[in-house]
Amino acid sequence: MIDPRIYETFREIGEDLYAADMISSHGGNLSIRLGDRVIIKRRGAMLGRLKPHDLIETRLDKNDSGVVLASTELLVHRAIYLNTPALAVCHCHPRTAVAFSLSRDEIVPIDNEASYLLKKIPVVTEEFASGTPQMANKVAEAVKNYKIIMLRGHGSFATGQTLDEAFMWSTILEEACQIILAAKTINEPFKEYRAMSEAYSKF
Amino acid sequence: MNGWNGKILEIDLATLTHKSYPLDMEMAKQFIGGRGLGARLLWDLVGPEVEPLSPENVLIFTNGPLTGTGYQTSNRFSVTTKSPLTGTVLDANSGGYWGMQFKKTGYDVLIVRGKAQKPVWIEVKNGEVAFHDASALWGMRVFAVTEKLGQDNNKRNVLCIGPAGENLSRIAAIMNDRERAAARGGPGAVMGSKNLKAIVVEGSTRPEVMDKERYKFLMYETKKLLAASPLTSQALPEFGTVVLMNIMNNIGALATRNHQQTQFEGAEAISGEELTEKYLVKNQACWACPIGCTRISKTEKVEGEGPEFESTWAFGAQCGIDDLPAIIEVNALCNDLGLDTISAGSTIACAMELSEKGYLDSDLRFGRADQLALAVEAMAYRRDIGAELADGSLRLATKYGHPELSMTSKGLEFPAYDPRGLQGQGLLYATSNRGGCHMRGNMIGLEVLGLPKLIDRFQVQGKSSFVILNQNSNAAIDSLVLCKFTNMGVADEYFARVLSAVTGVEYATGDMIKTGERVWNLERLYNNREGFTAQNDTLPPRLLTEAPTDGPSKGWVSKLEPMLKEYYRTRGWDENGVPTPKKLAELGLAELAEASYR
Amino acid sequence: MVRPYGRWIMPNLRKVAGTKEVAITGASVGAVVTELVKRYPALAANLLLDGQIRPHVIITVNGHSTDDVDAPVTEFDVVSIFPPLAGG
Repeated sequence: MIDPRIYETFREIGEDLYAADMISSHGGNLSIRLGDRVIIKRRGAMLGRLKPHDLIETRLDKNDSGVVLASTELLVHRAIYLNTPALAVCHCHPRTAVAFSLSRDEIVPIDNEASYLLKKIPVVTEEFASGTPQMANKVAEAVKNYKIIMLRGHGSFATGQTLDEAFMWSTILEEACQIILAAKTINEPFKEYRAMSEAYSKF
Repeated sequence: MNGWNGKILEIDLATLTHKSYPLDMEMAKQFIGGRGLGARLLWDLVGPEVEPLSPENVLIFTNGPLTGTGYQTSNRFSVTTKSPLTGTVLDANSGGYWGMQFKKTGYDVLIVRGKAQKPVWIEVKNGEVAFHDASALWGMRVFAVTEKLGQDNNKRNVLCIGPAGENLSRIAAIMNDRERAAARGGPGAVMGSKNLKAIVVEGSTRPEVMDKERYKFLMYETKKLLAASPLTSQALPEFGTVVLMNIMNNIGALATRNHQQTQFEGAEAISGEELTEKYLVKNQACWACPIGCTRISKTEKVEGEGPEFESTWAFGAQCGIDDLPAIIEVNALCNDLGLDTISAGSTIACAMELSEKGYLDSDLRFGRADQLALAVEAMAYRRDIGAELADGSLRLATKYGHPELSMTSKGLEFPAYDPRGLQGQGLLYATSNRGGCHMRGNMIGLEVLGLPKLIDRFQVQGKSSFVILNQNSNAAIDSLVLCKFTNMGVADEYFARVLSAVTGVEYATGDMIKTGERVWNLERLYNNREGFTAQNDTLPPRLLTEAPTDGPSKGWVSKLEPMLKEYYRTRGWDENGVPTPKKLAELGLAELAEASYR
Repeated sequence: MVRPYGRWIMPNLRKVAGTKEVAITGASVGAVVTELVKRYPALAANLLLDGQIRPHVIITVNGHSTDDVDAPVTEFDVVSIFPPLAGG
C-alpha cells in the first residue's frame, strides 16, 4: 500500500504538469526512490488524473511483480537512481524547450532565475526510443552532472531530493525557454545585467 | 596536478624525527582529502590490535584540494584517528585559520606517530620541522598556550590541547586558533597520550588553481548565492546557530534532562534571540567565510567565542538549566580546558539523572547552574567526581550499573535533536560511523526547516534514502574540507565544479557524492574490522520504548528497526550491516576489503 | 493564537507585534497570516514576498511544521511563525 501522502504529491504534480501544458494526456512521467524501491506511474495511466491505483511500487535493482504494470520508462528512471544521488525524477515534454533542443546542443537561459539556478541545460541525442537501455544510460550519465537535461526532440529529465524539486527545475527550464523565444521575437540588442554570464556555458 | 600539494609529512615522536614523501595521487583522486583521505590512510596504519591511547595509534591531520585557495569557507582541516571514546574510526574537523595555514606549509597530510618521552610541541614552518620542549607548557590552558606560542591569525596558527587532553579525558578536544575545536570523539586524548602539546604552522606556499577563469566564475556565483540565501546571509549572521533553540522546542524535539522530556520550559531564556539581545558583542568569521556565524559573547566574567547551539543545549536544556550567563561561562571554560561541549554537557546530565535516581552519590541535580563550572573543571583534571565524568556518559553509567541512561550511540553523546520526534535523525544517529552525531548528515533541513522541501518528520517509509544521501553528501563535503553551512546556499554541484576547476580532474556532481559513499563504506569496513556489527547500530532503550507524555512528539518513539532494515538494503549491505562484495566492487574498495579479511 | 518568533531583520516580528502572542481568528494558516499582516502591516516585509509567504519562513501548527497555507486551523490551535533558520 502506497502511503496516501506520497500519492497526494504525485497527484498534485501530475495535475500541475498537465495544466501547465508540459505533457500530453498520457505523456510524461514521475517517480520517486524510497530506499531500495521505486514508485512510478502505472503503464498507460494519465498523469493529469492519477488515481491511487495508478502508482506502482517496484524494486530498484531487479524485476518483481510490479514491473509488468510499471511505465515503459521504468528503465531510465532506474538507471538514474542507480547512477546518481537523485531521489525523485520528473520527465515531461516542455514545448518550447523541446523546440530549442532541435537546434541547440545546450540551452543557456537569459533570465535571472534560471541563470541563477540552472546556468545551462545540456541537450543529449539518442536515436533509440524511450525505454531502451541505450537511452537510459545516456540520460543517467547526463543527469549525473546537471539538475535537468534535455533529450533532443523528446523532453526533459529533472532530478531532485523530492518531486517538488524536480518539478521546479522543469518549470524553470520551460519558463527560461519561453523568455528566450520572446526575446528573439522582440529582436532588440540585449543589455547584459549579469556579471560573468559569458561563463555560464562552462558550467 | 593542482589543488593538492602532493606531499605527506610524517613525524615519529618516539625518535623526534620526520620524513616527507609523495601523496599517492590515485588515492587522492579517489578520496579527495580531509575525512576521506584520512580514513583511507588510517585503514593502512591502525588495525584492530591498536589501543586508541597507545603509542601505536596515529593522528592524521589533513586538508583538502580546495583548502587555502580562498574559495568560500576553504579554511578547515580534519583530524583522523581511532577514537578513544568509541573505538570507531574518528574524524573531527574544525574551522578558523589553522587548516588554511597548514595547507600553506606545503603538505596535504601530517601523520603523527609514536609517543614522545617528555612533553613536546612541533613547529612546521614551510618545509622545516622543529621539535621543542613543552615541559613548561604542560598543564597550561588553551588560551594561554595559544598566546604564548604566537598565534597570529593570518600568519602563524596554533593548535593545541588543554588539561583535559593531557589528562586523557576521552571527551577531550583538539583546539585551534584559540577557540575552534575538533572536538567529538576525544582526539585531544590521543594527542595527550603522545605527549604532544601543540602544533604550530606557518607557511607561504599558495595552492595553485588549474582553471583560474572557471574558478573565478564559480567563486563569484557562490558569493551571489550565499548572499541571496536568507539562511546564509541573514539567519546565521544574525543569530548564529543558537537560533534553533526555539523551533526545536516548539516542535517537541529538544532533548531535555537527559532525554526525559522533549520540551524545555526554559528554552526561551537560552535562545539565540536572548543571546543576541543581552550578551552578543559582535559576529566573527573564519578565514574566507562570508557567512560569519560565530558569536562573540560577554558576561560579567568572560568574553569569548560561542556558545553554539549544541553547547547551549548540552549545558542548558539537557541539564535542565536556563541560566544563559552560566552556560556562556562554562562554554568558555570548556574551550580553555579543551573539552567537547556536547559530550561534557550530556555526561553531566547523565550524572544528574543517575544522582537523582540514587544510583550515584553526588550533588549533581538537574537545574543546578552553580554546579556546571565545578563539574567541568573536575572533569578536565580528573578530580573527585570528575574522574568518573572525564570518560563520557557511557563509561560513567555502565560503572554505576545503568548503561541505558547514557544518551549515546556507539558511546558518542547525541546532540540536541531528540530522535523520537524526528525519525530520520534517529536513523542517522544509529548508523553514524563515529557514533551519535549530527555532522555525519543532518535531517533537520528536511524534517524541520523545509530545506529543500519539508518531509514528514514522523514518516518512516523511505527515510533511509534521504538519510543516505545526506550522509554521502556530508562525507564528500568533509573530504573537500568545506563548511556545511555553505551547502545551505550552494548546491553540491558547485562543489563538484570548483573541485574540478581547482584540481583539473573532472568530477561530476554524481562522482563527488559517489566519493562520499566510498568514504562512508570504507569507514564502515573499518568499524567492522574493529568488531562493530549491526548490533551497534542502535539507540538507547529510552528512545526506542519511552514515548514523550506531552508536546507535539507525544506518543512517538524511534521506529528504528524497519528504517534500519531498509537502510541496509538501500546501502547495498547485507542484513548484518556488512557491505556486499557487489557494493564494494562498485566503489573500488573490493581489493582493500579482501586483503583485510584474508 | 499566533506566536511570532524571532527578531529577524528590523522591524522584527516580536517587536513589531509588541507581544509574544496574538489572538487571531482565521480558518486556515494562510488566513491567519493575512490577518496578522493586516493588523501589523510592518510584518509584511518579513513574512510576505509578492503576496505569498516568503520562502524559508517556517510555520508550525501545534508544533507540526506545515508548508500548506490551506491547512485548517481552529480557535484551539497555536500557529507559530519563525523567520528563516539555520544552524546545528
